[in-house]
Amino acid sequence: MSQKPIIYKSWRELPLMTASMGDTTVNKTGSWRNVEPHHVEQVAPCSLRCPAGNDVVGFVTLAAAGKLEEAWHLLAETTPFPGTCGRVCPHPCETECNRDHLGGAINIHSVERYIADYFMDKPPEQKPGTFSGKHVAVIGSGPAGLSCAYHLKRFGHAATVFEAHSKAGGMLRVGIPDYRLPPEVLDAEIRRIIDLGVEIITGSRVGKDVSFDQLVHKFDAVFAAVGFTNSRPLGAEGDDGDDVVPGIEVLRKINLGMDDGVGNKPLVVGGGNTAMDVARSLLRKGKDVSVIYRRTRYEMPAIAEEIDELLAEGIEITFLATPVEVLRENGKMTGVKCIRMKLGEPDASGRRRPVPIEGSEYVIEADCVITAIGETTDLEFLPDDIRAKTSWNIPADELGRTAFDKLYAGGDVADGAGTVTAAIGYGRRAAIAIDAAFRGKPVADNAAMSPSLRERTGYAIPFEEINTAYFEDLPRSEPGSLKVSERIKTLDEVHQGFSEADLEKEAKRCFSCGTCPACDNCYIFCPDAAISKVKDDKNKLYLVDIEYCKGCGICAAECPRGCIVMKAVR
Amino acid sequence: MQKVLTGNQSAAWGAMCAKAQVVSAYPITPQTTIIEELADIVAKGLLDAKFIKVESEHSAMAGCIGAQAAGARTFTATSSQGLALMHELLHWAALARLPVVMANVNRAMAPGWSIWTDQNDSLAQRDTGWLQFYCESNQEVLDTTIQAYKIAEAVNLPVMLILDAFFLSHTYEAVDIPGQEATSKYLPPYKPSIYLNVDDPHAFGGIVPQDIYMEFRYKMQLAMDEALIAADKADDDFKAMFGRGYGVVEEYRLDGADYVLVTSGTVTSTTRTVIDDLQEKGHSVGLLKMKMLRPFPAEKVRKILSGRKRVAVLDRNISVGMGGVWSQEIRSVMYHLPEDQRPPIYDYIVGLGGRDVTPEFIEEIALDLEKRPVKDCDQVWIGLKE
Amino acid sequence: MRALPHLKQFTEVAEQEIMHSGHVACPGCGAAIAMRLALKTLGRRTIIVFPACCWAVIDGPFPYSACSVPVFQVAFETASISAGAIRAGLDITGKKDINVVAWAGDGGTFDIGFGQLSACAERNDNIIYVCYDNEAYMNTGIQRSSATPWGSWTTTTPGTDFKKERKKNLLEIMAAHRIPYAATTTVAYPDDLIRKFRKAMSIDGFKLIHIFSPCPPGHKALEKDSILESRYAVESRVFPLYEVEHGTHYKLSMDPPQRPVRDYLALQGRFKHLTDEQRDFIQKSTDEEWARLMHFMKVSEAVE
Repeated sequence: MSQKPIIYKSWRELPLMTASMGDTTVNKTGSWRNVEPHHVEQVAPCSLRCPAGNDVVGFVTLAAAGKLEEAWHLLAETTPFPGTCGRVCPHPCETECNRDHLGGAINIHSVERYIADYFMDKPPEQKPGTFSGKHVAVIGSGPAGLSCAYHLKRFGHAATVFEAHSKAGGMLRVGIPDYRLPPEVLDAEIRRIIDLGVEIITGSRVGKDVSFDQLVHKFDAVFAAVGFTNSRPLGAEGDDGDDVVPGIEVLRKINLGMDDGVGNKPLVVGGGNTAMDVARSLLRKGKDVSVIYRRTRYEMPAIAEEIDELLAEGIEITFLATPVEVLRENGKMTGVKCIRMKLGEPDASGRRRPVPIEGSEYVIEADCVITAIGETTDLEFLPDDIRAKTSWNIPADELGRTAFDKLYAGGDVADGAGTVTAAIGYGRRAAIAIDAAFRGKPVADNAAMSPSLRERTGYAIPFEEINTAYFEDLPRSEPGSLKVSERIKTLDEVHQGFSEADLEKEAKRCFSCGTCPACDNCYIFCPDAAISKVKDDKNKLYLVDIEYCKGCGICAAECPRGCIVMKAVR
Repeated sequence: MQKVLTGNQSAAWGAMCAKAQVVSAYPITPQTTIIEELADIVAKGLLDAKFIKVESEHSAMAGCIGAQAAGARTFTATSSQGLALMHELLHWAALARLPVVMANVNRAMAPGWSIWTDQNDSLAQRDTGWLQFYCESNQEVLDTTIQAYKIAEAVNLPVMLILDAFFLSHTYEAVDIPGQEATSKYLPPYKPSIYLNVDDPHAFGGIVPQDIYMEFRYKMQLAMDEALIAADKADDDFKAMFGRGYGVVEEYRLDGADYVLVTSGTVTSTTRTVIDDLQEKGHSVGLLKMKMLRPFPAEKVRKILSGRKRVAVLDRNISVGMGGVWSQEIRSVMYHLPEDQRPPIYDYIVGLGGRDVTPEFIEEIALDLEKRPVKDCDQVWIGLKE
Repeated sequence: MRALPHLKQFTEVAEQEIMHSGHVACPGCGAAIAMRLALKTLGRRTIIVFPACCWAVIDGPFPYSACSVPVFQVAFETASISAGAIRAGLDITGKKDINVVAWAGDGGTFDIGFGQLSACAERNDNIIYVCYDNEAYMNTGIQRSSATPWGSWTTTTPGTDFKKERKKNLLEIMAAHRIPYAATTTVAYPDDLIRKFRKAMSIDGFKLIHIFSPCPPGHKALEKDSILESRYAVESRVFPLYEVEHGTHYKLSMDPPQRPVRDYLALQGRFKHLTDEQRDFIQKSTDEEWARLMHFMKVSEAVE
């Protein structure tokens, strides 16, 4: 309450001496200012870059506060696969992390993994949304399909997932080796999705066991998330034998506990994650495996850590060379003729195009070739009229909407992004779009739209807006991993998770860019006592009293994480 | 209780009787024995007071101001250079409306160093908003100290009581010490209406805008007007209780006197004997003793002096470039009278720097007054070595 | 909107708001921040004494006050004795548990009130004496004081006649009085400031708290940079934070990684005329002062 002016009209009204009779709130010093502070929530680079749309600052800071269950629920808002992503995501969030300038990026994936693992056996209760009466068919139980089904269920819609294989999980199940993603983790996360009420029908291939048209007829919408299923051919002379095998096929067999069916000296061709995964899996099977890649380490699309680990495990990569002919004697492979390459002009992908060096052919000894030079889709399940209007993919916008009635698509079959996390994000966005269509409301109305999804401005808070005075220069923590000598013998998980102490230490390093955790600096440093703390309001932590704020800007300058911006007074 | 005390001890005992709670003081000759006596009194437990032994007179007065603002009764004493050093804070105490009581031992200003009496130190503080009382005897010093609190606290203005260096400060006389019970009845504990109170916080002395400063000064003037009444009442009450009174002015053998000598301080006592002698010899001369300078008892002075033939003001001070201060004051209040009621007022400068004002000098003044031409009202320097 | 116990959060700041908005300090005033934090710590049973200084104005014109505790404005040179006398008045009238705080600028402390300060310290009057030091007479419009550092521009040390005398070392002078407690602090470190006020409140006798207080107009610095300047003053060791107990026991409050003095100077227009050599000179004398302070720390440790 501000002081009313005290006016003396006569000496008779005055106190004995010059003693104050009121306070200075009578004096509206707010009229002095020409700029004023606004508390804002800005997007952190980690959250902006997360393909799954996770509120990274959110779950890391909750973990820092020891609020693991809240952190888990926050992750559950965006992904059913935190345990999986915490293991296999190439974590672009860490690449962009502002902490990188002060002791190293936050080990976000290990924090996510800790939260997931903490509740793996006994996940907190999750309830589906109130049933809307709508039912969606999801084709494929990979990360995109399951993510979409999970979110649809959360939004109140029924979801039935059709999976061709005998086990659910898609590429998570068959494309990623156990030493990176233990099957019990995947099982637990799929169990959660089923527990939420998602129906998964395995061994049911759409286009064979059930027709696409049936789905369209029976369901209110169809979400196609069949992923990459076909391997690109090697394109070398003699590549049509049984001893030239697609990498994803080998991985599927290994992952499903079947015989890998390849020789003892395989040559893996390619530089992507499949190449790395299959080579390291075969090494663990006791094979004398090596890798050949036509460009250099710099151009390799595989996750850098995976390449490092592969090399550490003793697998050799031959760079700047490519097979031109499979050599056989008596129908049995004896080696692969390769040609050396040099890098030419950049191609469409921006990477320098490899050019063969004439006359540089040589032979690499091998008894089988594993191709891992890229995967592509199989759209045979689509009816001809639709098939005719697609190319290698099903064209869809970023919310999974296609040009076809009731049909949505996402994941690799739509964008070919090739990562689990991108697929999870796609599935979620498609669920949001389907939900919006069902309810006849704009997409933006969906509460599940995270800031990073809502405001695709591309602006994330830069390091320059972080006040490093409030953060110590502490090094990034890394959890332990199995020793090379141990891990090459088994399919046991290579990387361990954080200990409780590591988790707290690491999560507390987070700058919490752009998200106000109520540190009180603005309140504490205001020379004019013009910023007050707001109690019992979820959306507001501080109130600037513009009647008194002189616009000095100390609050914005001392905000550790850029949550206050000074704007000109209108 | 009768005791033989110096004037300085009398001031100290007066503060004791008044139950001063905080003493903040710094020694200076010839005031030093006041605070020595008080230190002794406090040390012996005769007075429950805090004695802040400050490092300067400036701080002595600042100390009184602070303690008084906190709600305590305060006392200090000083002299001459010390009083001059306090000047800033004399204003402060008065404008803060704090009833501080201070004894000032009149001592001439330096340079060259003089430790002996004249009134220039206290008269120079005439405009600071303090009440001033000039004392003639040790008993009056003690009684005036007690009365000073009564008056100061009634009008919320500070009071300075003044005694002559050595002639009073270091001269022993028999002094009656009023009983503690009666004194407490006469002077109840200090209970300010507004002070530094954490349960009722106010900020004192902030910036005062131009549109309200004058009103505070006007209130001080009104308080001084009140003080005229309060001073008489305090003296009357004192007389009723203790049998002694002084008046803010005193008429001595003035009935029918044509000529009047006006004095203040110890010169008064000497003048009394001279008046006795001269009246015996047939001179029509009497004495007006001025005790109070501020507020100036204008009405009383006018009434006493109107219609007299001539007035001689004995000024133990000099406002150089103008003349004695008391004579200026008296002339200015007499100016309002009709011309036939307004006697010529002569200004006699006496006893500066502690020079003895002897009965011979005073008689010389009285005789000079009778024969001096009417128009020749310039200051007359008595005993000047020409 | 989540609570994060981040690494350097200030946790000691009390909720109570005893300083009101609407005071008339310049935008970004360090002394206003210092007062707000101090009052939050001191509480309502506190009496504040202002001599002539910025705060004599900041507190507001009659009939208003920015402080909801009793305030007594006193003559320029009398903050210390006034506070000491208020304490005497409270003691003799039986009023207990009240903090009496003299709140003076560097002019009232280092210069015009210096004799009184020394006397008050020698008498060990039971008060908290706060010097909020903005390193010049800011209230009268930026004239040099004996707290103005070497090299600084002021309106009385203009142009090439910038101040060529060093700043008095107040803490050493006060330590020489062997007072129970003396400390430096500054607004960039609220917890440090609050802890020192709390400590001062718990000690009988004369306590001195020397607060480095940035002044945007006087230092020719940006209003938003007051906390930054305060922090740089500490990090550059221009204004180290430490405590001295009983005049002999020195204790360093914090020792952040050293920042070049140039960073500190660069924030302030009052140093902009200085050449590289002159800046080096300030660095050198800062290092020397630091070494001397470290020597005191060592001696203190040895005695312990």
